[in-house]
Amino acid sequence: MTPTPAGDLNDLLQQPAYSLLDDEKNQVLLPIIRNQLDCAIANNHCLANFFSKLHLSPDEIQRLEDVPPMPVQMFKYFDLRTCPEDQIEKVLRSSGTTTGITSRVPLSKNTTINQIKALKGILKDYLGEKRRIFLVIDHEGINNPMLEFSARTAGVRGLSIYAKRVFYLMREEDGKLVLNLPVIEELLSRYQGEEVYVFGFTYIIWSTFYNQIREKNIRFSFKDVKVFHSGGWKKLKADQVSKEHFSDEIARIFGTGRETVLDFYGMAEQTGIIFVDCECGNKHVPNFAQVIIRDPYTLEPCGNNEVGMIEVMSVLSDSYYCQAILTEDMGYRVGIDDCPCGRKGVYFRFQSRIEKVEIRGCGDTFRE
Amino acid sequence: MITCHLLNGEFVDREFSDFTVIADVTNCNRRVLQEMPFDVIIGLLSKLGRKLIQNPDINSLQGVSYISIWLRRKNLERICKTNYGDCTYLDTFVPVDNHFAMAAQPRGIVCQWIAANIPTLAFFSLAQAILSKNGSIAKVPEENSAFIAALLKELSDIAISYNGTTYRGEDLVKAISLVSFEGRNAEVSRMFSLTADCKVVYGGSEAIRSILALPQKEHCETLVFGPKYSFGVFDREYIESERFEKALENSVKDIAIFNQMACSSPQVLFFEKSKYSLEEIGLMMKGYFEQLPQVLRHQGTDPAILANIINMRSRYLLSDHQNIITPPDLSWTILMDTNPRLEDPVHGKCIFIKEIESITDVFNLITRKIQAVTLCIRDEEKRRAFAREATYRGVDRVVIPGATHDYDQPWDGILPMNRLVRWVILKNEHEV
Repeated sequence: MTPTPAGDLNDLLQQPAYSLLDDEKNQVLLPIIRNQLDCAIANNHCLANFFSKLHLSPDEIQRLEDVPPMPVQMFKYFDLRTCPEDQIEKVLRSSGTTTGITSRVPLSKNTTINQIKALKGILKDYLGEKRRIFLVIDHEGINNPMLEFSARTAGVRGLSIYAKRVFYLMREEDGKLVLNLPVIEELLSRYQGEEVYVFGFTYIIWSTFYNQIREKNIRFSFKDVKVFHSGGWKKLKADQVSKEHFSDEIARIFGTGRETVLDFYGMAEQTGIIFVDCECGNKHVPNFAQVIIRDPYTLEPCGNNEVGMIEVMSVLSDSYYCQAILTEDMGYRVGIDDCPCGRKGVYFRFQSRIEKVEIRGCGDTFRE
Repeated sequence: MITCHLLNGEFVDREFSDFTVIADVTNCNRRVLQEMPFDVIIGLLSKLGRKLIQNPDINSLQGVSYISIWLRRKNLERICKTNYGDCTYLDTFVPVDNHFAMAAQPRGIVCQWIAANIPTLAFFSLAQAILSKNGSIAKVPEENSAFIAALLKELSDIAISYNGTTYRGEDLVKAISLVSFEGRNAEVSRMFSLTADCKVVYGGSEAIRSILALPQKEHCETLVFGPKYSFGVFDREYIESERFEKALENSVKDIAIFNQMACSSPQVLFFEKSKYSLEEIGLMMKGYFEQLPQVLRHQGTDPAILANIINMRSRYLLSDHQNIITPPDLSWTILMDTNPRLEDPVHGKCIFIKEIESITDVFNLITRKIQAVTLCIRDEEKRRAFAREATYRGVDRVVIPGATHDYDQPWDGILPMNRLVRWVILKNEHEV
């Protein structure tokens, strides 16, 4: 009997996250995606429009790269639900950083479960089997479920699934982030021998936490530490802080080595998948996802080391169009299946966000 | 820090901390222009036009062939006549009646902020300063400075003989300085503004606002060529006439030139309901986009513009009453709907085409930001009536397909060279 796509997906989520060779993975993902796209078209007239106007039927798709990518901005303007409405349990709203318009990501129970399983699989690969103490370099309010989802909340909520206990190392005082000293003192006195993992937004770690903790001359010495951080490097680059310098300094604070400070790339529209740096500095694509780097002009897939737009494909959702999302980030594929770290599949690096262009001329607007 | 690419006729990059030396040299050198007969200036520029088109190293650069045409004596004389009425005003006092005479004197140093979107813009701006006998200090975008320098080097090598005297293009070039500096540097921008007897500013809203906020000399005149928007209108009779296909072909060229980044680039084409569906018109345009020469079809486009095109395509694909016609790449995009409104420019040859009930539907869309309307109305009287109403509402130029980028005068509602001079008067003593 041919395994059902749902069966394949469960199998995928149970395997070690980076175990499949790229070709094997593509063969597994394609039928799952085709099936999911059929459901999408049946349940959403906008997506039906999309495929119909492209004169494309999911059955005709022969390669993952032929799945039409949805620009991530479309989550702001359209309901990209792919299942019946009554299956939606909650809508994740992600606050926009540039336009101020909110992305809407409808989540079913299945999607949420798949995302949790997927993230656990990824974290397991970096943290091992056991849950750990989770240190958040942010204030507790960032995880308030009443607030809109942001890149900061996404990281905290996502990574907390591997936590046996959560500590927030910062607190808010008059709208500013300051060290949460009682919590830090408790950690120093009671948890120094523990295995921990840490998460913070890159710029917050550097601009507030690092400066303040250095001023107070605080050093941690946990048994084992992994520091995850995410978010743009633009401001750090402006301050001429290299990734290496950042990693060395943060590692020094936590009494660990540079290789345990791990940058990751992810987005609210692909919750469940984070692309974490391996010890070689590459970001790896897990079994249940694919990354295609597309030339922004031809839209054709790029070869190794050719910079293009990052497209993230996933099979985790049966409730919204996650199958192919075209980001507004630029990156490049480093290789396939042969990273010295041993993880299989595509590995890539993030380069930069596509910055909103300032039209440097007179062809501007009709509005007075 | 200011980088000066051209000073005193020398094309050598030099660094300056202020504009004192640059302004002194430019001011001193402009005296030669004042003493040069106006006809000689026209002669030198028109000779440059002929020379440019003959130089294979230069004539392949985008926009050079148009510059060459624009520099024809007849065209220059027409432009000057439109601006000055009589070009003799530039050389001497011309009696107006028995009581007084008038002349046009240069304002002095014209500081020019040149926008980056049109590579040829710097040349046209400098040519007008020459044709008004002013000295120029032009802030040119780094990416275009080599282009403008190449054209001015050609001018440097030209000489003509006039009434037994030899006049040199080098003297025109000596009255021009080309500079680059970081526009966000408030202090350098302030110094540049204070150097000007006349400011000519090209750019988008943000640039214009910040430049206009700079201090300036009390007598300084300011010409602003700010953000503008262009579109096209076709009436039913025209669409159903034999002229239509050629007009569409020319409109596609208008869209393609400057990669749709100019204020004169059409962003929307409105088609009155006719025997052709919007889809059929879109397919005709597709054919013309496919026939574009490679240099126009594939132009370097900023990734942010490409991302915006991708977004617009997807929005139209997802929507109920919109559709697109595109090639596999992002070389051009046709977005179709029936919503009678103007759309935010996307650029990169991304054209909105819309079917409307009546061409008069567009009147309410016109603002003071509309520069050019490509107007295709078969009946001449109807065309004039439309143009009269459209220009009353804010349109500056009513043009024909294929000519939207022609650098005519007036431009943006003004006669630039007329404002680059001071109109001076010489009163006569009454005869007793």
